[in-house]
Amino acid sequence: MKLANLSRSLLRSAAVAVVALGMAGCATAPGSNEADATVSDPLEIPNRFVFAVNETADILLIRPAAEVYVGVVPDPMRQAVHNFIQNLLGPLYIANNLLQGNFEGAQIATGRFMTNTILGLGGLADVATEAGIGDRPEDFGQTLGVWGVGPGPYVVLPFLGPSNVRDTLGYGVDTLADPFRIGTNAAGADNAMYGRTAAAGLDRRSQLLREIDDLRKNSLDFYATARSLYAQQRRAAIANDIAPATPEFPDFDEPAKK
Amino acid sequence: MLMTRRLFLVCAALLAVSSWAGRPAAAQSADPGATAFIQSLGNEAVATFSNKSLSREQAVQRFRTLLYQGFDVAYIGRWVLGRYWNSATPQQHDEYQKLFERLIVNTYADRFVEYSGETFRISGSRVEGEADTMVSTQIVRPNGPPVNVDWRVRKRDTAYKIIDVVVEGVSMGVTQRQEFASVIGQNGGRVEGLLQALRQKVGSAG
Repeated sequence: MKLANLSRSLLRSAAVAVVALGMAGCATAPGSNEADATVSDPLEIPNRFVFAVNETADILLIRPAAEVYVGVVPDPMRQAVHNFIQNLLGPLYIANNLLQGNFEGAQIATGRFMTNTILGLGGLADVATEAGIGDRPEDFGQTLGVWGVGPGPYVVLPFLGPSNVRDTLGYGVDTLADPFRIGTNAAGADNAMYGRTAAAGLDRRSQLLREIDDLRKNSLDFYATARSLYAQQRRAAIANDIAPATPEFPDFDEPAKK
Repeated sequence: MLMTRRLFLVCAALLAVSSWAGRPAAAQSADPGATAFIQSLGNEAVATFSNKSLSREQAVQRFRTLLYQGFDVAYIGRWVLGRYWNSATPQQHDEYQKLFERLIVNTYADRFVEYSGETFRISGSRVEGEADTMVSTQIVRPNGPPVNVDWRVRKRDTAYKIIDVVVEGVSMGVTQRQEFASVIGQNGGRVEGLLQALRQKVGSAG
């Protein structure tokens, strides 16, 4: 019964995937070398609306919650929560490394997952990072990128924030394939899933309190800044250090004024 | 180089993920002078801002001095404006450059002033573009994982200047450029719209 449900929903997502991939493919071909190349954003008007709603939710609810979390829960405990949540994603990182054909990456991710699960008390301690093997997330959006799928139009998702068509799809696939979700779902422990999601959100937001405050304060157009940062960061994450795209820095004819 | 902390934070802000890895030093003939320049500028920044006896005003002044010593602010300002530079009048250029400098100081000075023990080490360098050198550094923070920051250095005559900063693969120049382009776009392609937004943000250029 559960299985039938799952396979049906997988099938449905596969169909969505094919359509979206087609869209993404079409949307990214031209004009990437132009000096002023901006992020493709045909949905800017609805995106700005969702962005504004997210901002409001953040200022009224999420940011205060994160502040309380930082204020009340001591550092080591928050670190343990962070480690635990990250470790739960280990299997996904392994799978995505394999799908990308990155066997060294898969090996490292496997080593991290085993080490932290066994020596790190089920993932509460990030022993691997302390041993010099840092975390290196690989999600399915990155996998699609490695396979040559372009980002497609920029999309701001409710609550989740900046994304694009490719990464939204990737997020969906990661969510479906997530062993923790499958496990808790099979065990009828959906609350554990929601708990994990809430904790992950709180963890992520609490690490960026100062940063997002600064961005809000110093940006002329926070929406555009977020869009640019997201696009560049994803490109770097997909390239894994291989030949980052660098724009041209011409010597201007007339010397720039002092 | 404390500034990098803020820069990193800027990027980190929107990331669900970050791809971390030490970048291997290219074996190419990158200009060793550029590396030495970054090393000494970084040392000076650390020395300056770890001195907590400075008043805030003094520290901001020092920041400004270091900014001009290390960065080609005018070049960056012009580069960031991109193709809109050509559609602006000379008066607009002047005002824009003043406002741009102020924006940089407002945005980054506090990060230096509130220096809290970051250190850095050079992790490599490579040739970038036609004649620039990308000097890679790793910023080690007291709290949190280290951050990879690349400094794009151009040599003019005998002086080295930074023309872009790339934090974990994210270019500060590109980010600013795309933001400014968006502001101008929202204002019907008029540079005046950007100047207005800048004035509002940093006060009018005196």
